[in-house]
Amino acid sequence: MTSLNNQERGAASFALQLGILTQRLLLRVVRRPYTELPTLFVSAFFLFVYVGQLDRVFGGDAFGTPFDFSKGNFVNFILPFSIVSASISGASSGISLVEDIESGVFRRYQAMPISRWAIILAPMIVGAFRVLLQAGLILALGVLIGAQAATGPLGFFAVLGIAFMWGMGFAGYSVAAGIRSGSAQGAQAATFLFFPALFIAPTFVPRESLSGWLATAAKFNPTTYVIEAMRGIMIDGWVAEPIAKGLIAAGLFAVITLSFALISARRATEKS
Amino acid sequence: MEFQPNCVRKTILGTFLYTYGAPRLLAVEAKHLSKTYRAKQELVEAVKDVSFSVAPGQIYGILGPNGAGKSSVILMLTTLLRATGGSARIFDLDVERDESKARKIIGVALQETGIDEILTGWELLYSTARLWGLNQKQARLRSEELLRLVGLTSAGQRRVKSYSGGMKRRLDLALSLVHQPKVLFLDEPTTGLDPASRRVLWDEVFRLKSAGVTIILTTQYLDEADELADRIAIIHEGRVVSEGTPDELKASISGDVVTFSFAHPELARRAAELLPNSETLDTDLRITVPNGPQFIPESFVQFRDSGIDVSAVSSSKPTLDDVFLSVTGFKLESAEERTEKSFRE
Repeated sequence: MTSLNNQERGAASFALQLGILTQRLLLRVVRRPYTELPTLFVSAFFLFVYVGQLDRVFGGDAFGTPFDFSKGNFVNFILPFSIVSASISGASSGISLVEDIESGVFRRYQAMPISRWAIILAPMIVGAFRVLLQAGLILALGVLIGAQAATGPLGFFAVLGIAFMWGMGFAGYSVAAGIRSGSAQGAQAATFLFFPALFIAPTFVPRESLSGWLATAAKFNPTTYVIEAMRGIMIDGWVAEPIAKGLIAAGLFAVITLSFALISARRATEKS
Repeated sequence: MEFQPNCVRKTILGTFLYTYGAPRLLAVEAKHLSKTYRAKQELVEAVKDVSFSVAPGQIYGILGPNGAGKSSVILMLTTLLRATGGSARIFDLDVERDESKARKIIGVALQETGIDEILTGWELLYSTARLWGLNQKQARLRSEELLRLVGLTSAGQRRVKSYSGGMKRRLDLALSLVHQPKVLFLDEPTTGLDPASRRVLWDEVFRLKSAGVTIILTTQYLDEADELADRIAIIHEGRVVSEGTPDELKASISGDVVTFSFAHPELARRAAELLPNSETLDTDLRITVPNGPQFIPESFVQFRDSGIDVSAVSSSKPTLDDVFLSVTGFKLESAEERTEKSFRE
């Protein structure tokens, strides 16, 4: 038998714990690549269908009309919407955490000298990875069909950065919802927020064109500001106001849901 | 030779101290453990009062039917559940106050196995070893060693999804052994396994015992407790109703157990009316008597006079079954019956 003395029978450092737990969850993603497809498909579908339907109206042909809000390139206008849709894949964090609670993996970790923060943080890191992967793929698709950022290539990274923050907001929400409900459905409910968040917003036209209740509701939907910030970067260049508003909306959402997740995590890892 | 009272006194005192006075460190000591769950508006007393102690190197069996509170006891002893009352110590470490120290010397294999089936057996062992603080090389060696130990070397590179129930339990056992625990807790390690897989697991438990590991296992199977355990606690409705070595428990029911079999349950019931203190189980009637061979002919006469036909009769020394029946009023299914049933299902 390999003999372990008492010193060796210790525990890994926090960074190593986090690394091992994250690696395991990444393996799960890599070995089940098809679970990525639904979100990716929906986001790509939105991109292609809306470009196909609306490009003639709001694209190059709109030049000189009041509808020329995309400055001749409708892909630039609709791509942020698809990227926001892809960033909802961050909600997978909560789902994978709940899978671990349901399968008993979570409890096994609790019996080991592992930091509870590492247990909660690992799925969030993997969620972040998925957000970047999915948003990045949609962005690449957008570029393939003609998206061009007014801010140059750096603008793409800025868009990804905002998508990342937004995705982490969903990650926090799904983790909290998952822990509190203790079921996969609870975590999946996060994705039900997806439709109202995406469509009670200036989805196809600028906010000025919305009317009635939708105009009011969109004003209170943080998604609005996230989409507008990305559009600003794509169409108008480095204009401070929309970008700042977008960062504040995405940042606040992420801070609120992540704190909520951490508070829930404390409860989940406490002994009953 | 001259009588030396002093010397004798010393020897007696010495023996006394050695036997009773020397500090004997217990591997596990549970004192009046209780656990009350709050389920919606109701309070459920899963564990009412459980006390027992386990000497180092023993295999200790906790026997009881489903819902007796066995799993809750294991969870409390393994620091995974907070006790409502009472206390528990593992090698003198309080499971509440010295939680993290206690965790390092215990290994746990719970009922819900908690194995990520998308990973391979080797990956699971390796990452567990790394989490326990082994370096890459140690972790690699340990993983290979444990795979060999539980006979999964050839399956090590396969995803756990493809493992049979017995293989998963063996992997689970290996995972609980990664950090070489001094005390191992196994919650129903063989439930649902076929007899061959059960035997493999038993052998492993014996091997661990001979390596000096203290093992606490719960089971619903009497034959398992009888075969494996040095001492047994029978838990019923959250309390220890009987405790001792298998032989002590059997001896606690003195005399013989006589079993009559009848063609119909109705006959068994009628026969039971003639024999006070007997129990009927389907077409069988059981009774514990001081002297079986003497009792059987007498009762035959009684049955014949009442027109009850006996199909078969047997007399045997009490088994754990009988002990269980007498302390809980329940009969446990045997492992074979249960396995057959689960196969049918």
